[in-house]
Amino acid sequence: MNFNILLGLSVIVCLIGLFIRFSTWFSQGIAPSGSPAFSESRVGAAIKGVVSTLLGPRIFLVIKSFFADLLFLKRTFDKSYLRWVAHILIFTGFILLLLMHALGAIVSDSLFANYQPTLNPFLFLRNLFGVMVLAGLALAIYRRFSSKPQRLRNYPGDWAALVIIAAIILSGFFLEGTKMSSYSTFTRMTEEYGSLDEEETLALEAYWVAQNGLVSPNFAESPSAELVAAGKEQNGYNCIDCHASNRSAFGGFAATKVVGGFFSSVGDAAAVSFFYYLHILACFTLLAWLPFGKMFHIVAAPLSLLTKRVTNDTVSSPANGLNTQMLGLSACTHCGACTVECSSSMFYEYFDNDFILPSEKVQYLKNLAAGRPIDRQTLKRLQEGLYICTSCDRCTTVCPSGINLKELFVRSRYVLLENGKPETALLSHFSFPLALAGNFVDDHLKALKKVTDQFKDCFKSLADFSGPLNLGQTGSGNNESYRGCYSCRRCTNICPVVRSFDNPSEELGLLPHQIIYSLGIGNRELAMGSKMIWSCSTCYLCQEHCPNEVQLCDIFYGLKNDAINKLEAGASV
Amino acid sequence: MKYAFFQGCNIPIRIKQYAESTKRVLQKLGVELEIVDQFNCCGYPARNVDETAYILPSVRNLAIAQQRGLDIMVVCNCCFASLQKAKNVMESDTGLAEKLTSFLSKEGLSYSGKTQVKHFLTVLHQDVGVDTIKKNLVKQFTDLKISLIHGCHILRPREITRFDDSFVPGISEDLLALTGATSLDWPGRMECCGAALAGINDELSQKLLCEKITGAQLAGAEYITPVCAYCHLQFDTAQQRLLADAKIKKQLPVLLYPQLLGLCMGLDQSSLGIRENSTIDFSDITKLQALLGPVEEKKKKKSKKKTPVSA
Repeated sequence: MNFNILLGLSVIVCLIGLFIRFSTWFSQGIAPSGSPAFSESRVGAAIKGVVSTLLGPRIFLVIKSFFADLLFLKRTFDKSYLRWVAHILIFTGFILLLLMHALGAIVSDSLFANYQPTLNPFLFLRNLFGVMVLAGLALAIYRRFSSKPQRLRNYPGDWAALVIIAAIILSGFFLEGTKMSSYSTFTRMTEEYGSLDEEETLALEAYWVAQNGLVSPNFAESPSAELVAAGKEQNGYNCIDCHASNRSAFGGFAATKVVGGFFSSVGDAAAVSFFYYLHILACFTLLAWLPFGKMFHIVAAPLSLLTKRVTNDTVSSPANGLNTQMLGLSACTHCGACTVECSSSMFYEYFDNDFILPSEKVQYLKNLAAGRPIDRQTLKRLQEGLYICTSCDRCTTVCPSGINLKELFVRSRYVLLENGKPETALLSHFSFPLALAGNFVDDHLKALKKVTDQFKDCFKSLADFSGPLNLGQTGSGNNESYRGCYSCRRCTNICPVVRSFDNPSEELGLLPHQIIYSLGIGNRELAMGSKMIWSCSTCYLCQEHCPNEVQLCDIFYGLKNDAINKLEAGASV
Repeated sequence: MKYAFFQGCNIPIRIKQYAESTKRVLQKLGVELEIVDQFNCCGYPARNVDETAYILPSVRNLAIAQQRGLDIMVVCNCCFASLQKAKNVMESDTGLAEKLTSFLSKEGLSYSGKTQVKHFLTVLHQDVGVDTIKKNLVKQFTDLKISLIHGCHILRPREITRFDDSFVPGISEDLLALTGATSLDWPGRMECCGAALAGINDELSQKLLCEKITGAQLAGAEYITPVCAYCHLQFDTAQQRLLADAKIKKQLPVLLYPQLLGLCMGLDQSSLGIRENSTIDFSDITKLQALLGPVEEKKKKKSKKKTPVSA
């Protein structure tokens, strides 16, 4: 297969992939079923948004974003110099190679009248850019290893991107190196470009062996200085106008030291074509793979960053809300910056649920957006991961691609409620920021109601008992201080929650002192089922005022923990 | 004097002005604060779900501070209580401490009990000292009635928080007196703002908040000064929904303590972020500035007892 067929194939695969990815931007999304956002014309809304931005004053934001966010990578710069240096090296090196070298016939030829890939500065620059990319890759690989303790996860896809780019650059250097060393390439070029007799050719060869890394069958040992000097003269007449010294291609020249061994086994011409095919195959693999893997971020991330700068995370139309969401999901590079900074990191360690980490959540949410079926177990863990979030918004602040993660996560919580059971972590202070923000109020209340109903099914309340109460041992929990209670009821009398109701017994199930009594008679289940524990404002007044140092508030926390565990255990059976 | 500044999850994103005004004031008083990016959540939000999950994050925070050789200064009461609880568990519950330590070792961290945790008010009251603050005052409020709400988790349970006399707190009162403002005696000042129930039982949460607002207003309060980040969000943000739903008649605007103190120390109101409190508008600023007068030479006789902290 020749170059053009391979190029054609990879371009076709790339275009089909791009079409598929683009179409998901306007067809998928995370919103409740039947949301009006799905029925609106998504493409229309996007075009309207883009046109109004480009024609209005916000065009200045676009320009600013182009330089600050896209070229300079400001968001990465603000957070981590290491990541910024790595990314700038890879990005600049690669783009410049693409323009100057891969598209040389189009770009360099039209920009520079005297462009020759074998002349300086181009010969030198090609190597410089290649080394920049390699240095960037080395930093990126170092980061992937060194940030592992900070819960950075590595997928095969993360390595694939690094491996393909490394393959392109390294095969390029080796290709250059084999060409420099190859005797057949030398012969071909002298025949094509030189006008030399046999003696002159031998001198030139000697010079190239001594100076330019050529490996010649005619020189098993170093050629004599005399011959080299004569060759230098020939080099001046025949070569130098179109071919600078190979030493300026420092990367390829360094490779000549390694590739020599290859020749004895496969022959120099075969080695050149081996690295040639390796090089173009790696390039075409990247091109074909681009829409399907994380490298798609080179398309999606700039658009996501522009959108963030222009809209400041407030998109007016629901259709564009979904478009932005999809753009964000496809802009995720799984770089893990969010996870490294996640405030819930220790909850991840404790609950051992990958979905608590934002980088893992956002990767999985692509499935939810695409409407793929999610099995029960995964759904349960995903829900837990979505709820166990402190809403500190660090992930959104830090995301180098400018993805509005907090919006994605909050929305996903409530969308999942449609087909899953509500997560019991809803009954924790993780709910505070959500209540404060006042979004999805109805959904939240509905979910709370579902959880409350589960409790009613799981626990009996005092009123449900017709016969005598169980006085058995149902476990006392690990706080024994309830034993000190001598029934003075100071706790109930001082409780601001009890005070809030006209008929507290009815509203709260058990009053604080009654909860302690239940523990006293060995009926912990009864205490766990009372609404009081979930109405406790945790102000600790009861505990502080208890003359016998019963740790009421702490006991209530223990009861809440146990009640949730019992509920979860019941749910999973 | 240098501390690792523990801001928690709410302050950096929702109450930036609290961190900013605290930094400004402490900078003037010679206290250096280091922002530590590695700090995570204090654990408080998980407490209803799992006690160990609640304690673990703060043990890591303590370990990180220890690694940097710094003590922690906290602004939020709930963060403060969580850190103190974690410290307490590591000191007294060997079984649990061992379990928690095993989590830390995954990251090569360890905690040996070195890190001290101090509330911002303790740093002012004890480390800087009332006399030093006094020397830095350039103005004082002449007629400003403040309802101070201490917040539950800074005071109670006393054997964990070890902050102040949990029945007759003096530190916050002493500090407020420095600004010349009158600290009102009002029924809700030691009680709950309702934050712990928000999102779990909103109705009850709002009831508790309403009770505080109307209670303070009845006592004649012009402003409320919360200490805790959660209290602040209740009064500065949740209050607005109460107003919109006509559950309260009049808004009770919020001023944070470092904002009050900062004004008295001659700091510019904009650097203290006073306008960023959503309950404060321009007229409040003008009014506050008009109330600033020369520093009273005579000491206001305020309760200045040093009550031993019961442990």
